[in-house]
Amino acid sequence: MLIIETFQLLLAGFASALTPEHLLMAALGALIGTFVGVLPGLGPTSAIAILLPVTAGLEPTQGMIMLAGIYYGAMYGGSTTAILLNIPGELSSVPTCLDGYPLAKKGRGGPALGISALASFGAGVLGVIGLVFFAPILADQALKFGPPEYFALMILALTLMVSLSGGSLIKSFLMGAFGYTLALVGLGPSSGMPRFDYGVPALVGGFDMISIIIGLFAITEVLKGIDEKRTATLIGKPGSVYPKKEDLRVSAGPMLRGGIVGFFLGLLPGCSAAITSFLAYDMEKKLSKHPEKFGQGTIEGVAAPEAANNATSSAGFIPLFSLGIPSSPPLAILLAGLMIYGLTPGPVLFEQNASFVWTVIASMFVGNAMLLVLNLPLVWVWVKLTRVPYGIMAPIILMFCTIGAYSVRNSMFDVWVAFLFGGLGYVFSKYKWPVVPLVLCFILGPLLEESFIQTMAMGSGDLSIVLFRPFSLTILLAAGALLVISMILNRRTQQRLKEERDRGVDVA
Amino acid sequence: MSRREEESVKGYKQWAAVMISLLLGVAVSACENQATAESSYPSKQVEYIVPYSAGGGVDFVARAAADYLSKEWGQPIVVVNKAGGGGAVGAEYALKQAKNDGYTALAVNVSNTTMLAAGMKTPPITNEDQVYTARIGKGTLAFAVKADAPWKDFAEFSAWVRANPEQLTWTSVGPAGFSAFGVAEWLDVIGADFAKTRMIVTKGAADSVPKVAGGHAILAVHTVGEIMPMLQAGKVKILAVSGDTRSPFLPDVPTAEEQGIQGLSVFWWTGVSFPKGTPESVIRKWEEAIAKMEKDPAFLQKLSEIQVEPAYAVSEAFTKETQAETTYYLELATKKGIRK
Repeated sequence: MLIIETFQLLLAGFASALTPEHLLMAALGALIGTFVGVLPGLGPTSAIAILLPVTAGLEPTQGMIMLAGIYYGAMYGGSTTAILLNIPGELSSVPTCLDGYPLAKKGRGGPALGISALASFGAGVLGVIGLVFFAPILADQALKFGPPEYFALMILALTLMVSLSGGSLIKSFLMGAFGYTLALVGLGPSSGMPRFDYGVPALVGGFDMISIIIGLFAITEVLKGIDEKRTATLIGKPGSVYPKKEDLRVSAGPMLRGGIVGFFLGLLPGCSAAITSFLAYDMEKKLSKHPEKFGQGTIEGVAAPEAANNATSSAGFIPLFSLGIPSSPPLAILLAGLMIYGLTPGPVLFEQNASFVWTVIASMFVGNAMLLVLNLPLVWVWVKLTRVPYGIMAPIILMFCTIGAYSVRNSMFDVWVAFLFGGLGYVFSKYKWPVVPLVLCFILGPLLEESFIQTMAMGSGDLSIVLFRPFSLTILLAAGALLVISMILNRRTQQRLKEERDRGVDVA
Repeated sequence: MSRREEESVKGYKQWAAVMISLLLGVAVSACENQATAESSYPSKQVEYIVPYSAGGGVDFVARAAADYLSKEWGQPIVVVNKAGGGGAVGAEYALKQAKNDGYTALAVNVSNTTMLAAGMKTPPITNEDQVYTARIGKGTLAFAVKADAPWKDFAEFSAWVRANPEQLTWTSVGPAGFSAFGVAEWLDVIGADFAKTRMIVTKGAADSVPKVAGGHAILAVHTVGEIMPMLQAGKVKILAVSGDTRSPFLPDVPTAEEQGIQGLSVFWWTGVSFPKGTPESVIRKWEEAIAKMEKDPAFLQKLSEIQVEPAYAVSEAFTKETQAETTYYLELATKKGIRK
């Protein structure tokens, strides 16, 4: 009954996503995303960060469709550079490099790209189907989410992000605290009173989310690129992108398994695509009759992690939309996008903005299909792009960053903030201080504060009601359990990353 | 210099040439803007700041108006939601941070003006910071409780609150928004202790009504339109509306006055204002366009769909009414200890 209702909503979503202007947004997003994702070193996170201000001027549905398109496009672009250049734009593309690059060296880069696109598409479809089944369950619970539940949820999100960003917990925690401190500047969310403005008029409005994100994720990338003097060296012709029958036969199983693993783990708030793509890769290696060939260019080694990381990314929209918890850095920036449109993610989003949510979900499907149709024939264009010298690319990216930071509030203050955080981000990355906890605490901090104050009002100043309500208690317990699970999974991923680094893969 | 290097230098020169001409182009067009600003307003996109999250009454009215004005003027009027601080964050942005060149308008509303000024000793924005350009619509307040709440009418509910003020939790659109003033005025009239009740500050109706529907708070005081979705979904019921006449959108719901509770005067309104010092020509242009808009059947239909009553007022009358309102709310806020 509920599923049928959801299915109708999804159909309505498709009707809306297939209108010419929405199709155009999805196509533009996918193309622009691929473009930025293909540029060496720029992955989905930087792509969304750079392009967020561009979409901020659009109407919410169109903006989100475009952002989702950029996300998928950049993921796809990331696979292209991983396979052809051995440069993973994002951690989740590292496993794709392992067999993709050797395949490219053998002149089979084309089929590898084709399989990767197919795997992405299949996983995207799986994600949409999953959403149809899960969304009604979540939407049904929407009204049960009161301030104490939101408070517990924010605690959950923040613990997960702080623990998941890898590396030192203390560093993550301090970065989170720094992010929250930044969020305190400006007018208080509940009181409307100015605070921490030190009499500086520009600070009364607080720091702008976009300028901080542009600084940390885009300008920092450019600075890192200059530092590393990034140059792309392309090897040989990739060959036809259309995989042979034999390729399809051997990769069907890995794709399916990778997609399923990626999707279900992706439902866990805080489980990132980097985790599942490694898991899927290692799983295929174990299942394979010829594990020794992995790492030397097997097509299964590309299919499994690509399907897994895309399925995780699609599944990640479920905790993002329904709970407001982003499981990966690019989703954290998409969360920022949602907030800019005034859409606070949470169970109520499905209830109150059903048509918006389902249009975006349908457009993800459309976006994935477009990537398949548009990008396979265009692969040579993208390959050529990777040869544009960094000395030309860097100033163009910086120009976009500057325009982006300025255009949000038409203020130079934000541009200075972006550059300041670009510099800071460079220092952070040099000394391995994770920036995701900073951004997340900056975004979620005010929500935590708001739900805290509301909970206190409900409980007449007694916070313990959080522990006495079944839902909020469950969330807090789940937070504890997920924290343990994710720390184990994360340790494993770090271990694998280290192994690959030792073997000479260029891991950011 | 090797041939390769030469080529790359040439590349940079071309790149520089393109950039310089681009910059020149921008500079020239900026100069043009200055000269013709008066006559051709608006000559570019106008940002229309809604200081609440999307989906509330102010937001719906602003979107309908933006839609109309974009067509009327042939320039995009873009609604930007900047929520927080009960409307103070967005209002402060539109009136104090943005330029007063007529390209940033504020969707002004009773909560972020007269009530804000009355509710705070040092409000981030005041009546004097803005030019009240035109009022667009108004709405009566409705008192909503959970659909299965035990009270059958507003009189019974009021009696319960008078006896148990410490058990009343109510959601508001901000620390000093219309919900707060509506509740304060009502508690004053029925003789209940405002200070003992508990206010839960939310970001706006979209956040506040579901809290009552879900049983996390007892009462929500909002405009009829803002409660309508949850009312139609059968999640809340409306015990009364304020004002001296029934709402045209809820002909079956009695007013508070009909149930013996008199003197509820707080009402909700929304309109447009600009920062102080905005060119007079801009103000007149908006005033005239909004006057025309309020006669447009399509626009009136839209207002009716979102349960807002048209209530056009020109800049002068609008300003006068807001000043009188400020005096009244200042008194109420001081008496009830809302003023901080």
